[in-house]
Amino acid sequence: MKERLKKTFGGDKLILLAATVVVFALFTALNKNFLSWRNIVNILVASSLVGMVAIGHTYLIIAGQNDLSPGSVAAFSGVLAALLVSSGVNLWLSFLITIAAGALIGVFNAFMINKIKLEAFIATLVTQSIIRGFAYILCDGKPVAISNATFIKLGKTRFLDIPLAVWIMLICIVIFGFILAKTRFGRSIYAIGGNKDAARLAGLNPQRIITTTFIMMGILCAIGGIIFAARMNSGQPAANVNLEFDAITAVILGGVSFSGGVGTMGGTIIGVFLIQAFNTGLTMVNVPSFWQYVAKGALLLFALTSDFIRKRNREKQLLEASKKNG
Amino acid sequence: MGNTLEFRHITKYFPGVKALDDVSFVAYSGEVLAFLGENGAGKSTLLKTLNGDYQPTSGQYLINGEEVHFRNPHEAIEAGVSIIYQERQLLMELSVAENIYLGRMPANFLGVIDTRKANEMAQRIIDEFGIPIRATDKVKDLSVAYQQLVEIMKACSRENLRVICFDEPSASLSDSEIEALFAIIRKLKAEGKIIIYVTHRMSEIFQITDKVAIFKDGRYVDTVNTAEVQEPQLIRMMVGRDLGDIYSSLDRDKQIGEVLLDVRGISSDYVENVSFTLHAGEVLGFSGLVGAGRTETMRAIIGADRQTGGEVYLAGERIVCHSPHDAMRHGIVLVPEDRKMQGILANMDVRNNINISLLDQHANRFGVIDARAEDEAARKGIEDFRIRTPNAEKKIVELSGGNQQKCIVARWMSTHPRVLILDEPTKGIDVGAKSEFYQMICQFAKQGLGVILVSSELPEVIGLSDRIIVMRGRKIVGEVMREDATEDRLLALGMTEN
Repeated sequence: MKERLKKTFGGDKLILLAATVVVFALFTALNKNFLSWRNIVNILVASSLVGMVAIGHTYLIIAGQNDLSPGSVAAFSGVLAALLVSSGVNLWLSFLITIAAGALIGVFNAFMINKIKLEAFIATLVTQSIIRGFAYILCDGKPVAISNATFIKLGKTRFLDIPLAVWIMLICIVIFGFILAKTRFGRSIYAIGGNKDAARLAGLNPQRIITTTFIMMGILCAIGGIIFAARMNSGQPAANVNLEFDAITAVILGGVSFSGGVGTMGGTIIGVFLIQAFNTGLTMVNVPSFWQYVAKGALLLFALTSDFIRKRNREKQLLEASKKNG
Repeated sequence: MGNTLEFRHITKYFPGVKALDDVSFVAYSGEVLAFLGENGAGKSTLLKTLNGDYQPTSGQYLINGEEVHFRNPHEAIEAGVSIIYQERQLLMELSVAENIYLGRMPANFLGVIDTRKANEMAQRIIDEFGIPIRATDKVKDLSVAYQQLVEIMKACSRENLRVICFDEPSASLSDSEIEALFAIIRKLKAEGKIIIYVTHRMSEIFQITDKVAIFKDGRYVDTVNTAEVQEPQLIRMMVGRDLGDIYSSLDRDKQIGEVLLDVRGISSDYVENVSFTLHAGEVLGFSGLVGAGRTETMRAIIGADRQTGGEVYLAGERIVCHSPHDAMRHGIVLVPEDRKMQGILANMDVRNNINISLLDQHANRFGVIDARAEDEAARKGIEDFRIRTPNAEKKIVELSGGNQQKCIVARWMSTHPRVLILDEPTKGIDVGAKSEFYQMICQFAKQGLGVILVSSELPEVIGLSDRIIVMRGRKIVGEVMREDATEDRLLALGMTEN
């Protein structure tokens, strides 16, 4: 029991929380408005789409996969939903079709990985380009304005002073966090990420698990894309470039190991909040946008390095333990 | 010349395993030294820590009294220490000469490679070896045996070559090719190289080696002069006397029942037309050399490799397994050969490792796992199989090899299988845990399970099986009953080359 408690709240995550506190302290020192309620809500809103994608990445990276297509899929979904609605299709049916399209893209990603045996990185790079292309093709390169009042309202609605987008992200985090921690499917994700061959020999079906996970990611991207479009009042084919970059950084910061099999949804939440605070903070203290790219790259490098150090520590502990046994 | 290679207190840990335990001895030039030991005795690991492929946890290597340390195999080769592996390390699309001089092709002052000079130099070595190939031949066009010889030539082309190690070189060679290899080894010996020869084959040890260093469970046992020993003596040193007593104390009286598993002409990409039957309550041994197709047969049966032909009947009913999951549902389970890569889930704790195949049973219709059921199953597994762990939340990799293996067995036994396939279940496990496994295996058979035991350790197969099937070249070549099983007989069946 004690070990299980340690697993949920122990070591790594404390460091991450400390890092978040440092980031907040730093930016607040530089700009007093950083810690205002309005700004916190802004950070939450800005992190809503990244959060949705990061949920998917948490699953995928734990399962030993990855996905570089979410930015394209989110933009595509925004355009598709806006187009369908403006051409007179029922609003909720439009959303359903868009979500189905996202799921289909997930199936395609999984097909390339399972059947053509491509690495996830390169397979989803294919999708990234193809889907971005379709986003432009659908609308001939021009943003699609949304005139449907209910659709626009989705981007403005608030409960308890917090926008709908944030609520949806939070609900998704709770649901998918529960699935990851408590269900057969979640357990299988860890198993195939730890060792695909061994998991298959233990009676799991890695290909089916990978397919399900990519479908999940497609759906999350579609929902995220629809809400983003609602916030922007239009479906924009050029939107959300590099979305996956932020999401992957957040997930790795949150303690998911890039080599698979390790990580929790709790870590991802903090990671998402941290990276969005970082991004917002950089803008608020007037760091030029070109330098923000450099800063983001540095943050990803930091995340990967700490992942490496965690992994090395794990191996060291193991070696010590086996010396004791031997 | 009198070169020496000293192994001084070499110890190597892998997570969960002590692969080498304080190994110390000296190899001298002008003699061929054999490494002899069972699978997992540490022979190959010792070579790999020598050439920097692995780093020893502690200990030193000294060549002619001088300490050497290699960070990777490349540094070792540069320093004149080469290992010829069973799997070839050649670039198939390049010529023989290009392979021999890879990374150090002769070049003119502009750095342009002088292919003609390389070919001439390579051809000289080839002629010295006396084999009918040309320096310009592409490696992929050569036979496997010649490819291996190219590898040896590559090592010999280094003027500073001091130590050359052969890791089971004869596995893929025919008799006449082995003769050619031996001629080269004798030549290297005359030149004063330090030669280490790892093999399983007794006949080769007596043919080519001068001394035999014997390893057992990661420990160096002794070095003996080949001329002064007989085969049985070597086997005794290699296996250790203690195991004999373990076998004789096993309770093997049991009721052998009806045919449980009937495999008819099963084929995959790796085996052809294998047929056999397994009875309830029977321990069926599978003997043969590494690569004889035993593991592949088992993988085909449970659907881990795609079946390309044949039929499997379980208790008279035809079953089709497209995946290990299907096999598990029918009650056929496999404890795989490579515990580390195919057995354990290294990122998980003992609890999850035991429960991973029970997810279907432990989840409700929404897929939510019943944590209490998992706790209970883990507790039962730890208790029943005497897994030595402080608690179920311990990472499985922190346990010793034997206890890891017990977790895998616990995982499968908790699914209540009818057929239990064990592939090299005691590889790299210490003697104490081995004897526990043997008792368990007998117990399982007594409960009416059909047990298949794939093992390269002859005493183990003989000591446990009611019947032994011998495989060679991906086919079944013989069947021996318990009463008639001797090591000689199994070796003769498993090794004869036609």
